[in-house]
Amino acid sequence: MTLAAPIRVAVQALAALTLGFLVLPILAVVPASVNPLSHLRIPPPGVSTRWYREFFRDPEWLTSLGNSVRVALLTTALALVLGVLAALGLERLGGRLRQVFTGLVLAPLIVPVIMTSVALYYVGQRAGLVGTTLGMAAGHTLMALPFVVLNVGVSLHGLDPMLPRAAEGLGASPWHAFRTVTLPLILPGVVGGAVFAFITSFDEIVISIFLAGVGAKTLPVKMWEVIRVEITPVAAVASTLFVALTVVLFWVVRRVGARSDAPEGAPAR
Amino acid sequence: MIRFVGVGKHFGAVEAVRPTDLTVAQGEFFTLLGPSGSGKTTLLNVTAGYVAPSDGRVFIGDADVTDLPPRRRNVGMVFQSYALFPHLDVFENVAYGLRVRRLPTPDIRRRVAEALATLQLNGLGDRRIAQLSGGQQQRVALARALVIEPAVLLMDEPLGALDRQLRKQVQLELRHLHQRMGRTTLYVTHDQEEALVLSDRIGVMRAGRLEQVGTARELYERPASAFVAGFLGESNLLAGQVTHLDGDRAALRVPGWPAPIRGVAAPGLRVGAKATALVRPEHVRLGAEVPDAPEATEARVEEVVYLGDLVALRLLAPGPATLWCRRFARDGAPAGDTVKTGFGLEDVRILPD
Repeated sequence: MTLAAPIRVAVQALAALTLGFLVLPILAVVPASVNPLSHLRIPPPGVSTRWYREFFRDPEWLTSLGNSVRVALLTTALALVLGVLAALGLERLGGRLRQVFTGLVLAPLIVPVIMTSVALYYVGQRAGLVGTTLGMAAGHTLMALPFVVLNVGVSLHGLDPMLPRAAEGLGASPWHAFRTVTLPLILPGVVGGAVFAFITSFDEIVISIFLAGVGAKTLPVKMWEVIRVEITPVAAVASTLFVALTVVLFWVVRRVGARSDAPEGAPAR
Repeated sequence: MIRFVGVGKHFGAVEAVRPTDLTVAQGEFFTLLGPSGSGKTTLLNVTAGYVAPSDGRVFIGDADVTDLPPRRRNVGMVFQSYALFPHLDVFENVAYGLRVRRLPTPDIRRRVAEALATLQLNGLGDRRIAQLSGGQQQRVALARALVIEPAVLLMDEPLGALDRQLRKQVQLELRHLHQRMGRTTLYVTHDQEEALVLSDRIGVMRAGRLEQVGTARELYERPASAFVAGFLGESNLLAGQVTHLDGDRAALRVPGWPAPIRGVAAPGLRVGAKATALVRPEHVRLGAEVPDAPEATEARVEEVVYLGDLVALRLLAPGPATLWCRRFARDGAPAGDTVKTGFGLEDVRILPD
């Protein structure tokens, strides 16, 4: 179908506007972060690394960045182990049971986060987990788990169930068959799930505010605290780091996904 | 050698395999032949260890393997979908079972190379599975199963995914391979031609039961039931009632025929019971070939199909019943709308219903 020229221009303009609406607010933090002035201004009157130096010199910002990375890595590890096991189990369950358990696993996506946070705070305080890396990671794992289960589930669904069977018939133990056949074939889902888990944890704020205490303040919590007092360009620096990290991680997912989509890696039949 | 002793399997209330006794001899090529849902694949999976039987014991050689997982049974399985590992190349697919057994690398190289050579896959070791044709994938699956030198080779409709031309060729290759290697083989198919070409013996399965076991010739010439007759080769079946039974001779009254049709009695007949007369199309005689017998009748020629070496005639016999007649094309088809039709005494088999 070919559209008349004016309509085509209008459609393209609308698409460009939508894209701008989606992306510009996110990208706006980049020029804001190189701003040499002591307050935010877009566009910046010049380019300076002043606020980057500020960020990397301030032990509080660095500590919160370190906390965030530690919590996100621990969350990713926990969510991967639990999520892959859950996805394997769900794939084996039949019919109604699978639906019920899938619903339970996905519940953290649907239940309002504030409710989850209050509940976690309540339990976490009694268990002495508030303000600890472990407590924070446990809370984040709850939010990250659905992404791992969904991503790995999609990969598992596309896996021929005869493959692990064939491996066992050739003498492999179930664990060996999983390691050498199932895992390499669901790797794109596992990597995708890991990236989602990492990002979910890295930019989680609601649960984090409740569980941070003084000992486990993550980068978003620190940003929130700072911005409440004054709108400083250092927050724009932190935001820019977020954007950069997200872009890099999604590039990784694309790479892994593209490799397994390549014709030589495609499943038989 | 594979031995089933009272092996049965039910899934809930559904009886997939009724308790079955069967021995497949050392070096024998045994085919389970039957329609889908007849239990043949279940029996194969019980042998491989993928399905636990509800009753009975399974022996491979002298060992009772009933409670062993697949990996401890030393069987080579070729799946209908081949189940080749898409992330590994041909060499690693074939080497998989040897690597699991932790063989030294030089041994693995040598044995994989031998297996690839045996199946005419030389030079394809570093190919990806998706780069292979269907026939090549089938051979890789076979190489992967054979390279571990299994006690028995199990094959689940391994030619089902190939086109007809290729299937014929691979059938012969499989046959030669078996003749050369002499490995005990249990083969599952619904294709009678595969069964006839490949098998030492065939077991025809129906609704979870082994209906008849025998060589291809036994099953074709002396089927125990109309089902077996219908599954192997073409057949004309005439339904009637047994009027006479004497040793291995019987006669069947078929509505519309001038006299009861006489033939060889299969076991299990009773006078007065319903039964079926089986006549293979190549045994339907026409015109002057018809023996002088009371049941000879006139039939109308409905259709003549020229098949090159053969002609097939569709006749409308009393009953009314359709009779297919096959004859060499060089013998010609009778002229005229109607033709005298009959059977030789030894060519009719009366089967219980």
